Amino acid sequence: MMELRDVWAGYKVHGREHMVLRGVNATFWRGDAVGILGRNGAGKSTLIKVLGGRLQPKSGSFRHDPDFRISWPLGFTGAIHGSITGADNARFVARIYGRDPYEMEQEVEAFAELGSHMYKPVNTYSSGMRGRLAFAMSMAIDFDCYLVDEAIAAGDARFQSRFRNAMEERRDRSTMILVTHSAGILRDLCTSAAILQQGKLAFYEDLDEAISIYERL
Amino acid sequence: MQAGERPIAAPSGLRRFHAALQLQLRVIGALLLRELHTRFGRHHGGYVWMFFEPMLLAACIAGLHTVLGHHLPGDMDIPSFYLTGYVPYYLFRGIINRSGSALLGNAPLFFHKQVTYLDVIIARNALEILSVLFVQNFLLYLVGVFTGTFPDNPAQVSLGVLLIGLFCHGVSMAITAATVIGTEEVDRVTHPMTYLMIPLVGAFSMIWWFPSDMQAIMMLNPTMNMFEYIREGHFGPMVPYHYDMTFMVSSVIAANFFGLFCLRAAGNKYPYLADV
Repeated sequence: MMELRDVWAGYKVHGREHMVLRGVNATFWRGDAVGILGRNGAGKSTLIKVLGGRLQPKSGSFRHDPDFRISWPLGFTGAIHGSITGADNARFVARIYGRDPYEMEQEVEAFAELGSHMYKPVNTYSSGMRGRLAFAMSMAIDFDCYLVDEAIAAGDARFQSRFRNAMEERRDRSTMILVTHSAGILRDLCTSAAILQQGKLAFYEDLDEAISIYERL
Repeated sequence: MQAGERPIAAPSGLRRFHAALQLQLRVIGALLLRELHTRFGRHHGGYVWMFFEPMLLAACIAGLHTVLGHHLPGDMDIPSFYLTGYVPYYLFRGIINRSGSALLGNAPLFFHKQVTYLDVIIARNALEILSVLFVQNFLLYLVGVFTGTFPDNPAQVSLGVLLIGLFCHGVSMAITAATVIGTEEVDRVTHPMTYLMIPLVGAFSMIWWFPSDMQAIMMLNPTMNMFEYIREGHFGPMVPYHYDMTFMVSSVIAANFFGLFCLRAAGNKYPYLADV
């Protein structure tokens, strides 16, 4: 379980504070699959960063159970180092999360299906390949909560179905928080939705209701 | 922590500290290996550069002075004098100049919440210190093969290099913390400063060359003390050396506390982490 209580967070740009989240309240339980909707700049990434533990809220509290392991934000950018190979990245992540590096490298290779690209620098990857690598690494760690950017699911058809299967399989034991713009992906993968607007988060049990509100924003 | 491993409900302070320490060591170890890959890679010679880069410059400078035949006071061996000056200076410059870009260059890593700014800085500087320690000893022994005089006390030489490394580590944390203002702004100041520091750090001069009222002032510079200490380790008792061990150790500790304090004060205020 993880919980946000009246969370305010944002950045300081040129000495001026810029609060993107202005009083977010939310509780996420094991098994939840929540789609976060919001216009560009609404603060979706900021919210994900707070949940990922990378950004400290300015005020309010973010708490989670001590054994509740939250992933890093899964997307194309971030968490992957470009100048080293995919295999190097996998081993690095294995080391910092306390897994056997070579075992993890093999698992990632099997899931991401990158073939010989696994041993080339990540800078040479297409964005789809980067997404596959990032997702495969997070699957190998087995988190309790996945923070996912929808862009990562936009690989080729084969990877998309693998992504869905993997998420489907983890649904009972994991929480998934998916940032998305697409009604299709939302209906496919999420059980509830939340709209981020003017720094606040509103939850909707009914996906159709959420989508229709979002489309009118 | 493994996925299946559950932390005890209320772990004692010591156990928590132990777990945190283990995690930090694991992360620093992983960062060290990664730093090796990103800095030197596997192609075009790869890791050889880790040692060859400092060696190339140090050997050229020492060689140049040997050929020019500048006579040194006290008849000190010319190549050894410049090696005990240039190699530790290379460490000083390497750590200080690279500290501005420490966080920006590693921005993707901070998505993993167990990776802290401090871990990244420690890993980078540890790699720098280790490679320079090796190069310093290797080159001094190599010169010894030709001149017949080997380091008088290699442990003292290494300890001196280590002291310079740890002192610079403290300073580098403060510089990295200052990049809150902006990486470029900080780099624009630190790079010329490291050049201006060449005559001031003590790499190419010795305290006993100067009049005694000047010596008292020079003794206030921690790196000046450390260079004297390294030279005593190499040359042994052939010229007078001026250093104060208590002062050196306390300035290393002070620099590190100051650096940690700055890093803590800068905290989560890094603007560029918002863009990655």
